[in-house]
Amino acid sequence: MKNANSDVLIIGGGIQGCSTAYNLARQGVSVTVLEKDWVSRHASGVNAGGVRVLGRDVAEVELSKASMELWHGLDDELDADTGFRARSLINIAADENDMETLRKREALMHGLDYHHEKMIDQQELRERLPHVAPHCVGGVVSEQDGYAIPYQSTLAFRRAAERFGAKFVEGVAAQRIRKIGQQWLVETNQGRFEAEHLVNCSGAWADQIAVKIGDNVPLTHSAPMLMITTRMPHFATPVVGAVSRPLSFKQFENGTVLIGGGAKGFADRENNRTRLDYAKMAVGARNAVEFFPIMATASVNRMWAGLEAYMPDNLPVIGGSVNADNAWHAFGFSAHGFQMGPIVGQVMAELITTGRSRFDLNKFRIDRFERKVL
Amino acid sequence: MNIYSPTDTPEFNSGQSYDIAIIGAGPAGMSAAVTAAEAGASVVVLDDKPKAGGQIYRNVTNSPLTQPELLGEDYLKGAALVEAFEKSSTEHIHAANVWHVGDNGEVLFSRDGGTQSLTARELIVSGGAMERPFPIPGWHLPGVMSAGSAQVMLKSDGLVRDDAVFVGTGPLLYLIVAQYLRLGVPVKALVDTTPKSAYLDAMAEVGGALSATSMLRKGLLLLNEIRQAGVPVYRFASDLQITGNSAVTGLKFTSGNEGRQLEAEHIFLHQGVIPNLNLTRAMGLEHHWCDQQLCWKPTLNRWGQSSLDTIAVAGDGSGIVGADGASVMGKLAALNQLQRLGQISADSRDQQAQPLFRELERLNKFRRFIDRLYRPIKAHRIPESDDTVVCRCEERTVADLKRGFELGANGPQDLKGMTRCGMGPCQGRQCGHTVSELLAQWRGISVAEVGYYRLRSPMRLLNLTELGQFSRVEPKPSTTGAAS
Ligand SMILES: Cc1cc2nc3c(=O)[nH]c(=O)nc-3n(C[C@H](O)[C@H](O)[C@H](O)COP(=O)(O)OP(=O)(O)OC[C@H]3O[C@@H](n4cnc5c(N)ncnc54)[C@H](O)[C@@H]3O)c2cc1C
Ligand SMILES: Cc1cc2nc3c(=O)[nH]c(=O)nc-3n(C[C@H](O)[C@H](O)[C@H](O)COP(=O)(O)OP(=O)(O)OC[C@H]3O[C@@H](n4cnc5c(N)ncnc54)[C@H](O)[C@@H]3O)c2cc1C
Repeated sequence: MKNANSDVLIIGGGIQGCSTAYNLARQGVSVTVLEKDWVSRHASGVNAGGVRVLGRDVAEVELSKASMELWHGLDDELDADTGFRARSLINIAADENDMETLRKREALMHGLDYHHEKMIDQQELRERLPHVAPHCVGGVVSEQDGYAIPYQSTLAFRRAAERFGAKFVEGVAAQRIRKIGQQWLVETNQGRFEAEHLVNCSGAWADQIAVKIGDNVPLTHSAPMLMITTRMPHFATPVVGAVSRPLSFKQFENGTVLIGGGAKGFADRENNRTRLDYAKMAVGARNAVEFFPIMATASVNRMWAGLEAYMPDNLPVIGGSVNADNAWHAFGFSAHGFQMGPIVGQVMAELITTGRSRFDLNKFRIDRFERKVL
Repeated sequence: MNIYSPTDTPEFNSGQSYDIAIIGAGPAGMSAAVTAAEAGASVVVLDDKPKAGGQIYRNVTNSPLTQPELLGEDYLKGAALVEAFEKSSTEHIHAANVWHVGDNGEVLFSRDGGTQSLTARELIVSGGAMERPFPIPGWHLPGVMSAGSAQVMLKSDGLVRDDAVFVGTGPLLYLIVAQYLRLGVPVKALVDTTPKSAYLDAMAEVGGALSATSMLRKGLLLLNEIRQAGVPVYRFASDLQITGNSAVTGLKFTSGNEGRQLEAEHIFLHQGVIPNLNLTRAMGLEHHWCDQQLCWKPTLNRWGQSSLDTIAVAGDGSGIVGADGASVMGKLAALNQLQRLGQISADSRDQQAQPLFRELERLNKFRRFIDRLYRPIKAHRIPESDDTVVCRCEERTVADLKRGFELGANGPQDLKGMTRCGMGPCQGRQCGHTVSELLAQWRGISVAEVGYYRLRSPMRLLNLTELGQFSRVEPKPSTTGAAS
């Protein structure tokens, strides 16, 4: 039996776990990350790589903007290639209803003094996306967004963390969790791990870990699907989404086009498996062609899905346990947590080392759904 | 333009199922279909070609050649099987590209510009083999092609190339050269890479069994035919290197302890065939590494049943068995599925299977001999020089992979994530075996431990328009009689 001690034990080697490990380790904190499969095996390695502030829930805007700033300097900070490219992101309005939705959003955002989202009319839409279908009437653009390569980005955090001494243990699942005195004891299939602080970054499995810590949480999981084409002639520089349709795509520099849009397959987290729903894929394909007729003959090369954790309000849980000391949560990113990785790691490190954060984390409390009265 | 609403999802996965769906109309698939249809099962066969026949019997009944008999006796033998297949009650959906097979019996394929779906209670995968990649310096250059592709061009379109150099080993290579010569196409040279030691090893393997000697003779006869046609044959060749910058200019090699150089615009490579894994891997079937054939194979029981009990694999897609072996395996798989469907008894299945098992046993003896004799040498499987291309789709070299490996990518899947090797449109068909063997060598462990890429659908490319148009195929009333 191995007996491993560190200051902080993180459960989950996705981008949140790796970024948290990095931000702790560089302050000299001793960190161990437990990963039941291998680092970046799940959502953090297979997502669409979208790095966006556009369209965020207002509760997330501050964190997301801070994360965006980090993304722009991340390759230098981590001394790695995350594949990050700064690109404008445009959400397309297909009709007047969409424009009305956008105008309301604009009023809301301006009211909060946020000015990073800018509405564009049909002419500007055409200028930015010459291949867009003629029926599209306008849209909204955010200039500071972009994309990165998920697997490389997550690995970049891991390597940087390791350079500061963090330990990653792969193929080891956290099973029993107990607190004895000031120490968290985590039993695994390969012995016991001990630490003063426990961090739950276990993605689609985070409700299972939360319960063992003592916190109930209404987390669900699902399997958003993606497909990627073979190389196409260059036709779109911005990342593209749609206001009210399940469409999102980006064309990479090598010409391949990654198409998402939120359609979900079937998730089987017990067996680490997903199954695709091809009928829904078909709808995604039609949408892409409807908005961009040039994609009619694009060849689909691969299709896949990843296991993602969802909260009822589509906002993550970030913060301390309400029922145990020195236990922390960061999960439930509801299909847009990749972009948040860099800032979440900083926030978690702040919380663990100082007990507080410079951000207002109230909206992300784990007990926000607990009914006050029965 | 049609505007679909996002909730307009096509009706899917409902209605009538076939008893047995078979993917691939080669000897394995056709034989399985004939056996199953005779017993009254409703059978559908999907194949991507316009005609039944598979790789070996391609276009045997409608050859573009005026004298197809020049292609040899084995080729013409296929005509009888194709006829029996066409006469059976099997539904044959040709020009169908199967791109998804689910463990729920769902089969999706592109055809006529759309996607069609059907379901079947039992499935037989008989998608055949592909040529083993031949990753030597320069193999990615325009002008280099596999000998098999040259044969496909010949069988399907009657197209040939003059003055090509054929390089490699294996009966198929000699056969294709001979087929070329019989049609009067000039061949510049045959560069044979079978090492001298292979002949001794192979004889030792079977202790000089009569069947093996005749097999050996067949190969030597072909070699003789080639020589007598005046084609220079360089034997025991090694240190292959294809020259040229933007296209092939020639081939350098060593033969008889002498460095040699040939000029050529067309080089046809071949070093045997291996199962085409894309179907069976994407279906998530269990596989194992086979040392005798130096390839991955789906793990099957004696009936060809895979780790998913409703799916059987037969023919060269299960491991290289040859056309006759493929036929026998197809029949065995069909018999077992008929029994599983309750259409024949276990006794009847076993009785009909007995002679088939014996036949397979006999063929396997040959196979061991051929595998030994034409075993591709290490230097032609595991590229040595840093700038040899491994992944042609993404143009990744040995050096690129080494860098990924040194950065910590230990397995094929990690390496794919790190370097994009295997991410292109061929889905790893051309680099998968090379990557498994390279990693095994670098890590000093067995190929079995290294594993293979994780693949998933689509196993064939399809375009967004095809994906967007769904329709469903169900058994015709006339063929469902036995299913009820
Ligand atoms: C298809 C898809 C597309 C997406 N597109 C985008 C996008 O474009 N932009 C964006 O910002 N976000 C996107 N997301 C969301 C984003 O990927 C996730 O929000 C983010 O990666 C979550 O990171 P994580 O570290 O919380 O989770 P994960 O990456 O899932 O990591 C959690 C890890 O915990 C491990 N674990 C679980 N239980 C245990 C245990 N008991 N012991 C040890 N280890 C355990 C798991 O094995 C897993 O590796 C997408 C997600 C998917 C699936
Ligand atoms: C290039 C090549 C040339 C060969 N030439 C000869 C020869 O001349 N003489 C000889 O004795 N042997 C030859 N062989 C070996 C011979 O093909 C096999 O021994 C024999 O054909 C195996 O039969 P099978 O039924 O297993 O597969 P095959 O005969 O290969 O039949 C499989 C069929 O499935 C189809 N298929 C595969 N995947 C899909 C899909 N996803 N969707 C739809 N259809 C699909 C294929 O197009 C093919 O028609 C050759 C092999 C190769 C690879």
